[in-house]
Amino acid sequence: MAERKIIEVHEVRDDPQLAISDAVAEELRHDIKRLSPVRAYPTQGKALYRQLLPGIVQLPADWIIAWGRKSSLWPLTFGLACCAIEMISSFMARHDLDRFGIIPWPSPRQSDVMIVSGTVTKKMAPAVKLLYEQMPSPKWVISMGACATNGGPYTRYDRVLQGVDKIIPVDVYVPGCPPRPEALMDAFLALQKKIMEERGKIGS
Amino acid sequence: MAHERAQEVALPEPPSGSIADSFRKALPDVEFQASQTAMDVALAVRREDLLRVMQTAKEHERLAFDFLRCLSGVDHMDGLEVVYQLYAYRLGHSVAIKVRFPYEDPHVPTVSHLWQTANWHEREAHEMFGIVFDGHPDLRPLLTEEGLGYYALRKSHPLAEIEDWQESYLVAVEQAAAQTAAASGETAPSAASDERAAKIALAQKKAAITKQVREEAKAKGLSPEEERKAVTEALKALDEEGKGE
Amino acid sequence: MAIEYRPPAERELETIDINVNVGPQHPATHGVFRMVLTVDGEQVVDCDPVIGYLHRGAEKLSENCDYRQCIGFQDRTEYLAQFNAELSYVLAVEKLAGIQVPERAEYIRVILAELNRITSHHMFMGSFGSDVGLYGTSFMYAFRDRELVLDLFEEITGERMMYSYFRPGGLAWDVPENFRERCRQVADAARRGVEDIDGLLTENEVVLERCRGLSPVTPEDAINWGLTGPMLRATGLKHDLRRAEPYSIYDRFDFDIPTGAQGDVYDRYRVRLEEMRQSARIIDQALDQMPTKGPIMAGGMKRILRVPPGEVYMRTEAPRGEYGVYIVSKGGEKPYRLKIRAAAFSNLSALRNMVVGNYLADAVIILGSIDIVLSEVDR
Repeated sequence: MAERKIIEVHEVRDDPQLAISDAVAEELRHDIKRLSPVRAYPTQGKALYRQLLPGIVQLPADWIIAWGRKSSLWPLTFGLACCAIEMISSFMARHDLDRFGIIPWPSPRQSDVMIVSGTVTKKMAPAVKLLYEQMPSPKWVISMGACATNGGPYTRYDRVLQGVDKIIPVDVYVPGCPPRPEALMDAFLALQKKIMEERGKIGS
Repeated sequence: MAHERAQEVALPEPPSGSIADSFRKALPDVEFQASQTAMDVALAVRREDLLRVMQTAKEHERLAFDFLRCLSGVDHMDGLEVVYQLYAYRLGHSVAIKVRFPYEDPHVPTVSHLWQTANWHEREAHEMFGIVFDGHPDLRPLLTEEGLGYYALRKSHPLAEIEDWQESYLVAVEQAAAQTAAASGETAPSAASDERAAKIALAQKKAAITKQVREEAKAKGLSPEEERKAVTEALKALDEEGKGE
Repeated sequence: MAIEYRPPAERELETIDINVNVGPQHPATHGVFRMVLTVDGEQVVDCDPVIGYLHRGAEKLSENCDYRQCIGFQDRTEYLAQFNAELSYVLAVEKLAGIQVPERAEYIRVILAELNRITSHHMFMGSFGSDVGLYGTSFMYAFRDRELVLDLFEEITGERMMYSYFRPGGLAWDVPENFRERCRQVADAARRGVEDIDGLLTENEVVLERCRGLSPVTPEDAINWGLTGPMLRATGLKHDLRRAEPYSIYDRFDFDIPTGAQGDVYDRYRVRLEEMRQSARIIDQALDQMPTKGPIMAGGMKRILRVPPGEVYMRTEAPRGEYGVYIVSKGGEKPYRLKIRAAAFSNLSALRNMVVGNYLADAVIILGSIDIVLSEVDR
């Protein structure tokens, strides 16, 4: 099996290969510093279970916390365009996502994942950014479809944002126009694997 | 985008007894230029007569156009045009009314007091082409933000360029790697660019072999399946020779 | 339901009107649509719809694309009834270029378009039910049946959603061998699905209480506001483009045009439900009449399609209403101007008239009953 590079969640925004232009990355860094879990939980690493018998209670505790987070990812129902129909299809009876613990939730304040499904126009971009900021940490973003990845078929129109990763950091990209519901399931499974691999890095 | 100034092709005249005649009878002093498009009759009117024509079209008992189907702006390179598609439910006929005007004076009277559906259509034509509809109650942009500064559907406004920062970024990374390699005196890290060059060379070789085999097959007069078989065999031979190296 | 509105002077309590922003992200707005409602208590006093959050420039991009490449944009503009949009566009190009389509291709096109009408109305049933308050049950029913039809589409075109299957002149490739049996299977399954949804929603007390008499529309108002499709037929006007201005081979089929009585939300639902049954009827007749063998592409089509100069406004009856494609061609391989007259655009422009005077919760139902597809509204 090829060696897989593990990207820390809070390093995602600093990684230059992840397609954020400089100006936006700068702004995001400023935002992330403000909102990052390190700052938000100033006691990171200082929780009691890390102090007592360091390493012994922590390892199973981290595993259990990560397992809990990955097994109940609640996505924000954020359907923008055609990909939304495939997203709804994947929540329905045939390609059931509820068996993974994934329940679509309309409010950003109680959701974990944001599935950006569809084209983000420049008129909609402030709303997307606002919704992302309204979600509490830990949060992840799945960019579903070609339009959210890099503008897709509308990549030469100037009112279209060429990829949602210009304004928010993305964890999983799903190609397709629109991607099949099975592809979205694969994205969720990849996200679950990522969450497991980064256990112990977020929160106390 | 090569839309050269095509010759203004004269569209055929509509047959007699069509809606153009009814219009001419209803408004004898207005000048209509009638032509037959693929589906309807199109009447070109002057801008000064437009409001009268529209009012008559709606109220006259023989015309009775009570439904404005579509209002589209067109940017001919020597002026703008608005095309109205009308339909009459009671009588079952349809017509297209066109009006042309220059870029410098893009004012047209509104028809939103006749057909309320024109409200949003005119807003969209305004923000896409810059056509000002005099008398419209509320000419805000509909589909784009306020204060955009350009008219998106005019031919003078180009499409956005594909962002090429990705291409230049990879090149910059390779150059930086090559520089550090040169600085530390090693040659191995340039393997990345070497690999890419090798891949390009291989692809070119494959293309040349394919072309050669195809020409040979055509000269021999083989059928398409046999031609394809010959090509796959040749490529397989190339692969094996590459592996053997 | 009679709405009694008492002006501020007669009220005992001093109140102010507040603006409620039913924002671009909302579980009930069927896409990125925003309306700013000014409410007085629970009654809507004013409504300002804001669209454009999905304006992607399909018209501008189509001016840069081949006539065949534009088909992909049509799919994505009307993403619930793709075959109907493709049919409209492809018929427009054929009329402009004077291309004669073979019989078998016409029949297959009509069958696929009617199947797509069924899937689109299924989606409407799903979202309408959940708007009224069934919270997901109607979605489950609707998507169960939709998936069966989408399976058939996948067998034919390879794609679940954006097919790009119709071409000017016919079809891209032939249908599989078992097309007729599969179509009959799918049409029967769709009929059963329609009966299920009928049983769930039609006599449902909640639906009846909430939707009967909500925002009635007269035919004159509907024509003035530019409503087409099921919204117009619900007001009582028996007008269907497949009968009034027949295109393709629709004049060979025998189907009824369902109409409503007063144009309220319940009538719109009933009209769409009945249209699904009529679509199944058309599919049956088409399968019987369809030639089993024959070409599916017009002869003499060149690789690059050059269309003579001219213009055409081709309109078809899409599930939402009149889908018009206005093409101006100056003789070339790309359209000079491609304007899409989307049904949902005009239907949605009448929202303010329909919503003002009703309650806030009903505004959501009225919006749902218009059956909008945002990418059609914004293009």
